[in-house]
Amino acid sequence: MLTMQNVSKVFRTEVVETHALRDFSLTVAEGEFITITGPSGCGKTTFLNIAGLLETYTSGQYLLDGQDVSRLNDFQRARLRNQKIGFIFQSFNLMPDLNLFDNIDVPLRYRGMKAAERRQRIESALDSVGLLSRKKHIPSQLSGGQQQRVAIARALVGEPRFLLADEPTGNLDSNTAFGVMELLQEINDRGTTIIMVTHDKSLAGKSTRNIHILDGRIQQCTDDTHLVRIPA
Amino acid sequence: MFLYYLRLSALSYRRNPVLSSLMVLAVAIGVGAYMVVYTLNYFMGGDPIPQKSSVLYHLQIDSGNPDDTFEPPSQLTWLDATALLNADNNYRQTASSKFNAVVEPEGDGARPFSINGRGNFGDFFPMFDAHFLYGGGWDRGADEGNQQVIVLSRELNDRLFGGVNSVGQTVNLQGNRFEITGVLDNWQPFPKFYDVNNGPFDSIEDAFVPWNLITSLPLSRGGNTNCWKAPVGTGLQAFLNSECVWIQYWIELPSTQDRENYLDFLDNYTRQQQELGRLLRPVNNGLFNVNQWLVREEVLPQETQILAALAAMLLAVCLLNTVGLLLSKFLGKSGEIGLRQALGAHKGSLFTQHLVEAGFIGLIGGLLGLGVAKLGLWGIEGLIGDLMTTDWMQLNPVLITVTLLLSVGSTIVAGLYPIWRACNVNPAIHLKTQ
Amino acid sequence: MEFGPILRAMWRNKLGVLLVTLQVAFTMTIIVNAVFIINERSRLMVRPSGLDEANLFYLQNIGFSADYNESAVVREDLDFLRRYPGIVNATVTNAIPVSGSGSSSALSLEPDDTAPGTFAAYYEVDEQALDTMGLELIAGENFSAAEITERGVGEFFNPSRGIVSLALAETLFPQDPHAALGQTVYRNNSPLQITGIVRRLQAPWPDTSFVEQSILLPMNSLNTFAMYLVRTEPGQRDRLMVEIEEALATSRTDRIIREVMSLEETRRQTYMVDSAMSTVLFAVIVILIFITSMGIVGLTVFGINRRRKQIGTRRALGATRTAVVRYFLLENFLITGVGVILGALLTISFNIFLVQSFDMPRIDWYYTPLGMLALLLAGQLAVLGPSGNAARIPPAIATRSV
Repeated sequence: MLTMQNVSKVFRTEVVETHALRDFSLTVAEGEFITITGPSGCGKTTFLNIAGLLETYTSGQYLLDGQDVSRLNDFQRARLRNQKIGFIFQSFNLMPDLNLFDNIDVPLRYRGMKAAERRQRIESALDSVGLLSRKKHIPSQLSGGQQQRVAIARALVGEPRFLLADEPTGNLDSNTAFGVMELLQEINDRGTTIIMVTHDKSLAGKSTRNIHILDGRIQQCTDDTHLVRIPA
Repeated sequence: MFLYYLRLSALSYRRNPVLSSLMVLAVAIGVGAYMVVYTLNYFMGGDPIPQKSSVLYHLQIDSGNPDDTFEPPSQLTWLDATALLNADNNYRQTASSKFNAVVEPEGDGARPFSINGRGNFGDFFPMFDAHFLYGGGWDRGADEGNQQVIVLSRELNDRLFGGVNSVGQTVNLQGNRFEITGVLDNWQPFPKFYDVNNGPFDSIEDAFVPWNLITSLPLSRGGNTNCWKAPVGTGLQAFLNSECVWIQYWIELPSTQDRENYLDFLDNYTRQQQELGRLLRPVNNGLFNVNQWLVREEVLPQETQILAALAAMLLAVCLLNTVGLLLSKFLGKSGEIGLRQALGAHKGSLFTQHLVEAGFIGLIGGLLGLGVAKLGLWGIEGLIGDLMTTDWMQLNPVLITVTLLLSVGSTIVAGLYPIWRACNVNPAIHLKTQ
Repeated sequence: MEFGPILRAMWRNKLGVLLVTLQVAFTMTIIVNAVFIINERSRLMVRPSGLDEANLFYLQNIGFSADYNESAVVREDLDFLRRYPGIVNATVTNAIPVSGSGSSSALSLEPDDTAPGTFAAYYEVDEQALDTMGLELIAGENFSAAEITERGVGEFFNPSRGIVSLALAETLFPQDPHAALGQTVYRNNSPLQITGIVRRLQAPWPDTSFVEQSILLPMNSLNTFAMYLVRTEPGQRDRLMVEIEEALATSRTDRIIREVMSLEETRRQTYMVDSAMSTVLFAVIVILIFITSMGIVGLTVFGINRRRKQIGTRRALGATRTAVVRYFLLENFLITGVGVILGALLTISFNIFLVQSFDMPRIDWYYTPLGMLALLLAGQLAVLGPSGNAARIPPAIATRSV
């Protein structure tokens, strides 16, 4: 469902050219749980941004669900993000001024959904992460793990085809991180494709495939193809 | 420590030059605009003779139309004025009225010109603390003897005598010779309280002569004249005996006892006149000291009062603006505040530091505000300069102090909440994310 | 639209919202009342005096020698003026309309001089006054040269005929002002017949309650002080003012000529406080719009900078650029909306204060809604720029960790 062919990203300033991504090629099938590892500054986040349509690329081809995204304008990219992709961020990125309910409401608003359906979806999303009773609270009243669960609920509420997670456990202690990973695996089990950037090798082991990026290129592919699960 | 805080303020200003300059501008404009209006009200509504304003009284005798409901007149009739002048008391007092006359300068080629004059009693000058450049006023004898004496304004003396001491010389007024007893210095009560019926913000008259001469010579009487009933008969005497009011009457009453005595005397006089068939309205005599008189005569223009209210709101808008900007600025410094706390600053010292910073911005705003006020006054002078004297429209030390206190004070008040918010952030949060 | 979440988010930032709201409310109060005052003043300033002001000037003639023969001098001067090339006509008068200085008396329908009467400014003029002033006689007839009476110094004289302004006729005879013609009224106890009505002639004092009520009297008071009103051909006035002053000043040595002034200059000086007030208020409005929009722009920019990450996140979650702009416009609309509602209350309260303290007129009803609309619009314009910048925040900012 996601195919990248020789995708490159070059940041140019007046003096230097930085290759954040060089001739990057990758195919992700429906239902995979892919982890991406690599040292800081090697291009993990750039890959994720391009995959999530947050950034454009300099050359190459990227097909999302068979659609060439390079032709899309800003408006169409926003629609696609909203409908097909869910994001989970390292620092949760919840709106501090909004309560949990309103936070999860944000992507649904952009989809123009009816109020009754939104309410029903938000409440079930909050319920699925075990925080329904706290829907009127604001993020600062929650612990880090709880906040990340809210963020996951927000990512899932629109029922996206795949989930992009950028160091989702980076700001959490190991116990909480473990809980979040379990939640992600559950989600993957239900059929959502997940791409997760992490620098934690132990987490990488829990995925179906791990990709190691070094200096903008794929260095090593743990090709555990037999682990690819077909959704039931 | 204060100097340290001041240096921190300057550093902080340089760190956020746009935000800081916006605040300075808001304070400068708000305070500057307010001070323009404040200055107008300060002088136009001020006490023109603070050292004596509580012992100088203008008389009110209700000689109005008994069939009508108007306020008592602001001036006196000739009948009442002369009766009061002849009364047996030793208070300093003066009737006074305006006149117009043509002066014929000595020498060939000099064209005659017209002047504004005032008829008054010799007491006028010491009562109102008029200061003389040369000579002085005249005594009671000159008043009673209808002597043709004259006091010149400094301006007229400059024009006629080139500014030299002209005491003892004569001036030809409307064909009559007047002997100069004195030349006034730059004396300009503001408002011109002694006659608010004829332009309270006008310059003083060009020349002063004994009041009796207006009617005995006679001189061409000028100024506001109101009659509720037409004079009976013809001639000047008919006018003088009429109920027309055209005379200002001031008396100096040193103590409250004097004031009460004189009011009793006025009431007795009124009752006597009523028996004679005059002053048919209920007895309604009044003694107004200078400030009361300025209020009663509504000397302070409506316009400056309306502007005062608007300027206060403008200042409020600017200060609200400043609160918002200070809030942005101080909350943006949470990291620094957290760090300082970690390094041992207690809340009190942080509070003081930011108070100094707010005051610093207020001070710069105030200094700029002085410029704004100056510019505004200069603009007002251009707009109404043809209408009244404008020498007074200056920022004196009192007004400069008020400006700076207002700007520093209001900025500190505007800063209280932002400072309180900024100093109450949890330092740990900000240290961790940095 | 997303009213609910925006309102709840605003509630978390009460002080910031309150600051803008109050600013908007005060700004609206000042601007609406200032505009109202400016309009009121300019309404007063454009009232016509009834005179051909563009082509009129006047001067004062003061005699001072003991043997000054005012009657002869005035006749000689008027004769000179009327024959001077470029001068249409000239008259002698005791007062100049709009000038701020003149005389009035009370007229009553009964010969009782203590009964409260109708106030009217009076102009003592000759038979050339109608033509000189450029007045429009709508009924009756002009004075004849023969009936102009000279009043000596100290004498009392009450003319028996007069020409009134239509407004004065209306006040005296409300049922049918035109029937005023030929009626007798009483001035200083003596009868006076209305022999003419002019369409319009203002009193000299623009702020008096009877500004439109005047009467022309066929007489000339000899008191060494005479004013000549001179009407020139179009475009000749300024030149003639200089020439006439010089000619009259040098023609005799027993009088002086002063205060040569055009009617336009007279009007400018008379309404100087009104026009100064308007200018000051206009300056206040401009300053205020500047300050308030700077404030709104500043706070919006600050709010955007504080929320960069949030905006990026919203973009990542699928917000289009338009949605971001709309968010800030809506947020500003809500804040300004509360501000203008508060502002409407404050505007009306301030007007009531002005009405009670300064006898100002009530504000017309449409000022307040127009002011509300204008401020809402101004608020939207002020955030348009910053919110455009916000829309350009890249969504990728959401994945940055700092």
